[in-house]
Amino acid sequence: MKDTLRWWAGLLAAFSVLLVMRFFLPLPFVNEVLLFSIYTIGCNFLLGRVGYISFGQPAYLAVGAYATAFYLYYFGTNPLIGIGWGVIAGVVVAFVVGPLFVRLRSDYFALVNLALTVIIFFLMQKVLVEYTKGDNGLWILTRMTSTPLIDISSANGFFVFAFLVAFLVWAFYKYLDDSVFGACCLATKTNEVKLKFLGYDDFKIRLLAFVIANTTTALAGSMYAVHVGIVSPEIASAARAADPVVVTILGGVGTLYGPIVGAIAYTGMKDLISKAIGNWELVIGFLLVFIMLAGEKGIWGTLEPRLARLFRRDRGEIARDEAAAKVGL
Amino acid sequence: MITEAAALDVRDLTVAYGESKVLFGVNLEVRRQEVVACVGRNGAGKTTLLKSIAGFVKPTAGSIAASGENLVGRASYDVAKMGIKYVPQDKKVFSDLTVRENLELGSYATRDYNWDRVTTYFPKLRVLMDRKAGYLSGGERQMLMIGRAILGSPKVLLVDEPTEGLAPSIVSQLKDVFRELARNTALVIVEQNLPLVCEIANRVYAINEGRTVAELSDPESIKPETCEKYL
Repeated sequence: MKDTLRWWAGLLAAFSVLLVMRFFLPLPFVNEVLLFSIYTIGCNFLLGRVGYISFGQPAYLAVGAYATAFYLYYFGTNPLIGIGWGVIAGVVVAFVVGPLFVRLRSDYFALVNLALTVIIFFLMQKVLVEYTKGDNGLWILTRMTSTPLIDISSANGFFVFAFLVAFLVWAFYKYLDDSVFGACCLATKTNEVKLKFLGYDDFKIRLLAFVIANTTTALAGSMYAVHVGIVSPEIASAARAADPVVVTILGGVGTLYGPIVGAIAYTGMKDLISKAIGNWELVIGFLLVFIMLAGEKGIWGTLEPRLARLFRRDRGEIARDEAAAKVGL
Repeated sequence: MITEAAALDVRDLTVAYGESKVLFGVNLEVRRQEVVACVGRNGAGKTTLLKSIAGFVKPTAGSIAASGENLVGRASYDVAKMGIKYVPQDKKVFSDLTVRENLELGSYATRDYNWDRVTTYFPKLRVLMDRKAGYLSGGERQMLMIGRAILGSPKVLLVDEPTEGLAPSIVSQLKDVFRELARNTALVIVEQNLPLVCEIANRVYAINEGRTVAELSDPESIKPETCEKYL
């Protein structure tokens, strides 16, 4: 019982902060933070758990967004069903490209994903222009009908929906982090060959991690489509390919709450600075360099151990750890 | 001749890395509850022999069988699932995982969640359960790697230079552990520590330049001074 409470305590605390933010900060900002957090957690899982840096997240974001937009533009009006299609499209694309991509490591993996982003961009802008309406995009805002219980076509309803989805996503990733699968993912990052010594097929583990991460990204894309009401090729722009990687590093690579903290910091900086200065990207670039040099573990990666010492562990635990350290080293 | 009792049987094994041949028709037989040691100079091909058995290097000729089942051509993780576990020389554990998580990986793969045997052999691991494996000393890493490998009671344990760089007290502890393990598991140990080899091995294969140059099975002949001739 105590362990169960402890398991949920961190999640509830983190999402309580997000809930409080809703009452003090503008709603569009909080919605953007929630979407950016979900967008980034897949990238964070790939980089922190499996050791894959991906500059292809806009591709998977676009897959989810376009699948939702196609459904709402051509076939139906229920945004929840649209989001469902976005997730299915994410799973399908990840399973199609995954077996090819996860054979590659580090820099080649990053580049092949970037190439996919460029391919998706041109597919949507040029090749499929008849269906995607090219740079004009697919306008779906007025095509959505109200959904029962929570009307996600409204800004307030969308916040409630995005908040609940984000909570479930984080609970799922926390479960993954604590599971044997999560340990296997970390083990592939450290030494994939050694994992075979124990009888694990490291390829299947990397493929499953890839599918999970990019399906989450597609989910973020489909939610983005519903929230903004327009999907254009700009969503798959290679110019924005580094965004989720930057937010991941800013928040703290491989930490559970790093994507939320990173999304708050990045979106906050972007909003504040862009209001004051025209060339805000330049200032943000310098700020990011400074933040990363100041603490390479990122914001949450630096704060988490200190908070854990303060709140989660009693003196006895600390004493036991220190005693173990003396015995072992 | 392949006997009924052979836990591992390697016949005429030839291995090459590209154009460079490393093993030339090596033979090795390990019976159940037997400790077999491979001795030889650095570069003789001992590690390649273990890697070939474990499925990490594909032989160009010859056969490898465990309890009568062919191992050649199987993926390394399949070989591990068959109960042929390899403990490599480099003592690299999953450094980002705790000792507990490292053991959990071994348990999940073998469905053996009983860690009593591991902690009985290596009591020190009990206090290190929540320590990241990257912070363990060399001896502790070796304990963890062997402890993780023996989960699921493997049929054959392949151990590469287990005592290299370890303190005498840990070497002595490992010696006792190997003796205990041999009650249920066939052991193949590549080792340069000849006093240890001679104390625990039932049979010694001397390998030189990729060839088996001697097989010592008479307890009288398994002595450090005899083995030293092959180093």
